[in-house]
Amino acid sequence: MMKAVIALMKKDLKLLFKDKMAVFFTFVFPLLFAFFFGSIFSSGGGSQGLKIAVADLDNTEKSQAFVKQLNEANEFVVTETDEANAKELVRTGKRVAFIILPEGFGENYGGIFSGEAPEILVGIDPARKAEAGYLEGSLMKLGIKRFELAFSDANEMIKQLDFSIDDIQQSDEMPAEWKSLLGDYLPKFKELTELELAKQPGGASSTGLSFGADGDNPMMPLKITKEEVMVQKTGPRNAFSITIPQGVIWAIMGCVIGFAISLVREKTLGTLDRLAIAPISRTQILAGKALGCFAAQAMVVTLLFTIAYFVLDVRFDFIKLLLAVLAAGICFVGIMMFFASITKTEQSVAGMTNAFLILMGMIGGAMIPLFAMPGWMQSISHISPVKWAILAFEGAIWRDFSYIEMMTPLAILTAIGVVTFFIGTRMLKLKQA
Amino acid sequence: MIEVRGISKHYGDLKAVDNLSITIEKGHIFGLLGPNGAGKSTTISMMCGLISPDQGAVQLNGEQPTDKATKHKIGLIPQSIALYEELTALDNLSFFADLYGLSSSLKAERMEWSLKFVGLQDRAKDTVSEYSGGMKRRLNLAASLLHDPEYIFMDEPTAGVDPQSRNKLFESVFELKDLGKTIIYTTHYMEEAEKLCDRVGIVDNGRLLALGTVDELIEQHGGHSSVNISSEQGEESFMTANPVNDLMARLRDLNTVENLSLQRPNLETVFLNLTGKQLRD
Repeated sequence: MMKAVIALMKKDLKLLFKDKMAVFFTFVFPLLFAFFFGSIFSSGGGSQGLKIAVADLDNTEKSQAFVKQLNEANEFVVTETDEANAKELVRTGKRVAFIILPEGFGENYGGIFSGEAPEILVGIDPARKAEAGYLEGSLMKLGIKRFELAFSDANEMIKQLDFSIDDIQQSDEMPAEWKSLLGDYLPKFKELTELELAKQPGGASSTGLSFGADGDNPMMPLKITKEEVMVQKTGPRNAFSITIPQGVIWAIMGCVIGFAISLVREKTLGTLDRLAIAPISRTQILAGKALGCFAAQAMVVTLLFTIAYFVLDVRFDFIKLLLAVLAAGICFVGIMMFFASITKTEQSVAGMTNAFLILMGMIGGAMIPLFAMPGWMQSISHISPVKWAILAFEGAIWRDFSYIEMMTPLAILTAIGVVTFFIGTRMLKLKQA
Repeated sequence: MIEVRGISKHYGDLKAVDNLSITIEKGHIFGLLGPNGAGKSTTISMMCGLISPDQGAVQLNGEQPTDKATKHKIGLIPQSIALYEELTALDNLSFFADLYGLSSSLKAERMEWSLKFVGLQDRAKDTVSEYSGGMKRRLNLAASLLHDPEYIFMDEPTAGVDPQSRNKLFESVFELKDLGKTIIYTTHYMEEAEKLCDRVGIVDNGRLLALGTVDELIEQHGGHSSVNISSEQGEESFMTANPVNDLMARLRDLNTVENLSLQRPNLETVFLNLTGKQLRD
């Protein structure tokens, strides 16, 4: 009689949503937890700027000035290092991108009218398209500053013109027509600039001269050469990949406590007698309760992972995640049934379930991530179902578990669930008899 | 017909019900009268199949109360308000109706009938937590009648109810009897048993002490009536098995009577005579 089981489940979900406190602790608190701690652990990323590694191989005044600009820019959090380490930092996922300033960078950075655009080498994980675009745009913005510097300071402009006139005269590669044209044009331009400078009171550096600032200038601010870096998939994509499983565990614990209390309340109110007198078996009654608890867990887990995917950029293997959700659901439904069976009052079930789950949560990684625990605590954590649930979720999210590796946490969770469910339902039936 | 044959139930060392046997005719209101802790609720729980007796058997028209088909014929009004207070009356009734697998049309019809029967149709959409104690009791009754049960077990249905709601509930009990229902009613109020029940079983310490109509019980166990007369000859009291005849005979000898009182035995006296203690001790 599935209709009765569904009716029981619907009634319990209705009761859950009528209880604002339960809704908060089941749906809102876990999200706040994941978001709050995820944001804290994410310091240095996101809104604080892209974490980049910079290697200055040119090591000239101009290249150092460019690195200084990178350091001062809000868009970046810069780590200055050598080329090999910069690449390693990106490969291991510790930095989003690296920037290499090759030899000769400073020479081209200073030459506005001659030579080539200064070249930089940028390395980034090809999967991080959004960051790549943001990085390129931010670098171009900084590159444009070299024009601003040159064109807004008359003295700097005259220095640039002298440098360029000498460079053109000594060049063997430039075509004769270009050499003639620029050899005629640049000295006249220098003369004009000197005249303008002389008119300024006290020879102020700013002339207000403008050269195609509307983008007609064909000169590129920077020449960016991109290099794709294959990032090792051995760590979480971001801090939310760690805090979302923790938040999910808090949500599941909220469901367990809520449903354990509701089952005991059925006993104390006498509604369990009404259910028992109805033409449905006790197994169906308990199945309805279990299904309600499982459905609530599934709803909250779906909600959290949907937000995690679309808002917090958490990625996961869907099938493995589904298996983790199923196994965790079975485990915690069994635990709910067990605690509801051994307690008589709502106060005792709330106290006992809270104490057990918070303890299991503390040693199981719901507060401190498993990998951040000291060795002895990681050993103790084996007794906690929370640890195995988090491990299963992390296996689907960032630990990159194979199906074989997933088997261990899934089997342990299922076994705990089956044993506790069996004991719980037996005890409930015996108490009712 | 309900047949209860030698049922017993133990909880550890406590003998909650001890070898209790009764037969209840179809369409009767049967009262189980006894003080708190006498074993009334345990008895009614075994009769409706909620708990199994350690010994003995219960049959409802020859069927086990735990049979699925028989469960459709049983309605239980628990002693507590067995409702979900966070939900509306309609939500509660809808849920309980679903447990009995009523079709949509029948469910709607029975919900409407039940609410009307207990006079709560105007408050159907209110959450139960907003109800008064009496209204909750009435809804508690409505929830047990949705599937149109043949046997209705009422476990102290008037506990904590105001006089107005109590009278409304009494009317409901008589209406259900008129509909041909068999009603088993537990109470520790002898007035309720006297007013409602065709037959009464008096229980204490899990044992059935007496069984019969109210008049039979009083006749068998009530003892004599107490007569008190104040006249010009002073005050006199006497006990009599035949108060009307004896009083008439005595009055013939007196010229004036200042005060006269006649105390007939009732179920309270029956209980006192059977157990040596008051019903509400």
